[in-house]
Amino acid sequence: MRIVIDRKEKSWLLNGRLKCLWLAFAIAVKVFLVILSGPALGEAAMPQISLNPDYTFPTKDTPSGVEVNSASLVENTSAWNGHVVAFTGEAIGEAMVRGNMAWIHLNDDAYMWKNIEEGAPLGGYNSGHAVWIPADLAMKIRVFGDFKHEGDVVKIVGRFHAACPKHGGDMDIHASTLEIVRVGHPVRHVFNTSRAILAGFLLAVAFALHRIRIIVRRRHTL
Amino acid sequence: MIVRPRWADFKVIGLYTGKVIVGVGLLMVIPLATSLLFREWNPAIDFFLGIGACLAFGFGLEILCQTSRDMAWGHGLVVVSFSWFMATILGAIPHYLSGHFSSYLDAMFDVMSGYTTTGLYLLQDLDHVSHGFNMWRHVLTFAGGQGIIVIALTFLFQGTAGAYKIYVGEGKDERLLPNVIQTTRAIWLVSLAYLMVGSSFLWIAGMSLGQGPVRGFLHAVWIFMSSWSTGGFAPQSYNSIYYHSLLYEVITVPIFVIGSFNFALHWAVWTGEKREIYRNIETISFFTTVAIAMLLAMAGLMKLNVYPDIIALFRKMFYQVVSAHTTTGLGTIYSRTFVRQWGTLAMLGIILAMAIGASACSTGGGFKGIRMGIIFKGLIQDVRRLISPESARIVEKWHHISTRLLDDATVRMAMLIVLSYAGIYALGTVAGVYYGYDLVEAMFDAVSAGSNSGLSCGVVSPTMPTLMKVVYLFEMWAGRLEFMSLFALAGYLVALFRGR
Repeated sequence: MRIVIDRKEKSWLLNGRLKCLWLAFAIAVKVFLVILSGPALGEAAMPQISLNPDYTFPTKDTPSGVEVNSASLVENTSAWNGHVVAFTGEAIGEAMVRGNMAWIHLNDDAYMWKNIEEGAPLGGYNSGHAVWIPADLAMKIRVFGDFKHEGDVVKIVGRFHAACPKHGGDMDIHASTLEIVRVGHPVRHVFNTSRAILAGFLLAVAFALHRIRIIVRRRHTL
Repeated sequence: MIVRPRWADFKVIGLYTGKVIVGVGLLMVIPLATSLLFREWNPAIDFFLGIGACLAFGFGLEILCQTSRDMAWGHGLVVVSFSWFMATILGAIPHYLSGHFSSYLDAMFDVMSGYTTTGLYLLQDLDHVSHGFNMWRHVLTFAGGQGIIVIALTFLFQGTAGAYKIYVGEGKDERLLPNVIQTTRAIWLVSLAYLMVGSSFLWIAGMSLGQGPVRGFLHAVWIFMSSWSTGGFAPQSYNSIYYHSLLYEVITVPIFVIGSFNFALHWAVWTGEKREIYRNIETISFFTTVAIAMLLAMAGLMKLNVYPDIIALFRKMFYQVVSAHTTTGLGTIYSRTFVRQWGTLAMLGIILAMAIGASACSTGGGFKGIRMGIIFKGLIQDVRRLISPESARIVEKWHHISTRLLDDATVRMAMLIVLSYAGIYALGTVAGVYYGYDLVEAMFDAVSAGSNSGLSCGVVSPTMPTLMKVVYLFEMWAGRLEFMSLFALAGYLVALFRGR
């Protein structure tokens, strides 16, 4: 016997199959949650990945508000979690104000005092940290680093979160103080005349070749 | 007997390569205009220089190689691999002149990463680059996602003779419309329509998150280009962390998921075949393997109790896994967080997702969902054959736009490409381990490069050994072109020396 399924029914069946797939996925997730729950969710994270001795990490004698760099925070995340730290870096991009608070980004890399556009030597990738700070403190920052500016270098003090419960698991510092260490400034770009002449020459060559190409193509098609 | 290529063959290859390079030069007009608009004079000069070099090279090649000979399949494939190579060398001029790279090789690495929509980069001090240069990085990745050959076909080629042969060489073999030029235009139509809609959403989101209108607009366009082309570049070194926003994540995830789907699927849906979403072997494969990768990553994260609650865990895990599986490479965690917080099991989940990758004929890389589906169905077919009577004829079907019978040749072809991918993943991993990197870390970045994903756990850096940069560059190139064009180029080189 041949069963005929009309288009509407088939579509319903397909949707049903998809629902079954999602249901199976949800059940599988639930099973994983039960089997692999280990320490209860919400408990303080236990550092199960060993410390990286090449970077600083806190000991029981480490005072509150100790100066730390971004590489150490990322490499020894669990160890620093919950500590009050001091962090200094160049403010880059912009302050993104959200109500009474704001997000700022501080880079403590090789370019925090002088960037490549100002003639600093190459010093690797940017590195820095995201900081959640009261908006009025963020407004103290006048210059943010970009192509045309070297940003203010600021020092903040705040609590470090390896996975912030308030911000969807972001790694951040909730700062309570901000101090301007160095005021930023515009970057002066010197016009590169020799490069401009070379560019003009190349464009002239390209234009000449374009004209020649038209002639050659015309001859070829004749 | 191997036939040595004649001068006439090189003329065909040179003529079409010249056209593609002219296309690359014309692409630089977009970042040039951006630089002029924002009064960034030195970057503007760099783009003038790049345009001049590309046009001079392209026109010169066209003059030297003027021919009316028809293009053969071999020519088409060699044109693609050679064009990509030359486009990388010439496209790197503005990169190198920016002063943000240690060497020309590093600049080429970033350009190849852009074209191949990988997203790995060696650029230093990204947070201080010009708007024009950032535009160039993202235009590269947007153009590379559609395919630079597709661009050349769309705007610079007259007539369709031979066009399909180079179109296929770029890893795309779907004909949405009967004519290949119409097909490439349809691909652009789809992409530009999404660009306008997606960028508008991101712009509004950016301003609601505290960005100014100008920066918000630029970031919206760049992040859209990066997401849609499954590229992974971002205008700030913090990548997607910079926005600290669930809204931004909610907007970008559908963009890179849609971007990772087959253009033929897009076209089918656009033309009213909505049921194709549920029936297509690639979408079924995608959702299945995404679920497996998520379970692996979730198991790893729960084992280490990384996140404070299940919502934070799911948000981070979901974004990273989907970004990896679509081979996008945007991330909401720091690179080293994979190693220092996520741990080996979760990293294996991400590696699996990156290795499998997106859909065929899309902007993404990796094994591709269609091949995973075909191989799985081939396996089922073989098992059914084993347990059935010898006289039984076992038929397996697969659906992609139309329903087809599965044959051994299709399975073999899928296996061949998957094995080639596994080969380049292994090559990169061995190179990393040779230079002293941890096995899982070396594998993570090697798979990321080969599948054109762009997530990194910290192996890729400006200070990594030169040979590793070359290996990763090769991986990105081979992975994006899906090997056939490179095999053809290698064959041509062998024939040049050993042919008669």
